[in-house]
Amino acid sequence: MQHEIKWEHNLEAAKIGARQQNRLILLDFFNPG
Amino acid sequence: MGAVTYQNQQVIDYLNQRFVPLQVPHNSQPLATDFRVSWTPTLVILDPEGVEHHRAVGFLPPEEFIPFLLLGEAKVHLDRQEYAAALPPLEQLIKDHPASDLVPEAIFHRAVCRFMTTHDPTPLKEAYECLKSCYPQSDWFKRSQPYSLL
Repeated sequence: MQHEIKWEHNLEAAKIGARQQNRLILLDFFNPG
Repeated sequence: MGAVTYQNQQVIDYLNQRFVPLQVPHNSQPLATDFRVSWTPTLVILDPEGVEHHRAVGFLPPEEFIPFLLLGEAKVHLDRQEYAAALPPLEQLIKDHPASDLVPEAIFHRAVCRFMTTHDPTPLKEAYECLKSCYPQSDWFKRSQPYSLL
C-alpha cells in the first residue's frame, strides 16, 4: 500500500506513462501558496 | 485538496492504480493558457493523447473525488462513442457512491449508453422515471423530461 500519490509533473511524461499503462491522466492545476 | 482529499487512502489507491496523476502550478505556462485555467483547483481528465474530456473547478472532498474520476472515465468513452465501455464506470459510480452529487448525471448517461447499444428507448424513459422520483431537483431530471414522451 502506498501512502502518497505518485505525482508526475510533466505533461509529456504523463502522456507517455498513460500510453504505456493504458490509463487516463488526472491533471491538477494547484495553487502552491 | 492536498490537505484533505489527497490524504485519503482510497483516493491515493484509486489514483495510483488507475490514473497517471499530474500536478502543475496553476500559473504554469503554456499549460495554464492551453487549458484556460482561471481558478484553483482546476481538475482535468485527459486521455493518453492529452485531450480533455472532463473537468471540475473547486474543491472536491474524497467522497466526491472518486465519482468525479469515474464520470471522467465514462466521458472519455462517451466522447469516442464507445457506449458499452462507458457503462462500467457509470454503474460503479451509481452503485458504490449512491450519495454522490454526480449520481443523477451518471443515471442520465447510463441511459444514453444503454439506448445507443440496444436502440431500445426503454432505458431513457426509465431514467426519466428514476430521476423524477429520486432527484426531482436535479438539472439532469430536467434534461430527461423529453423522455417521458417515449
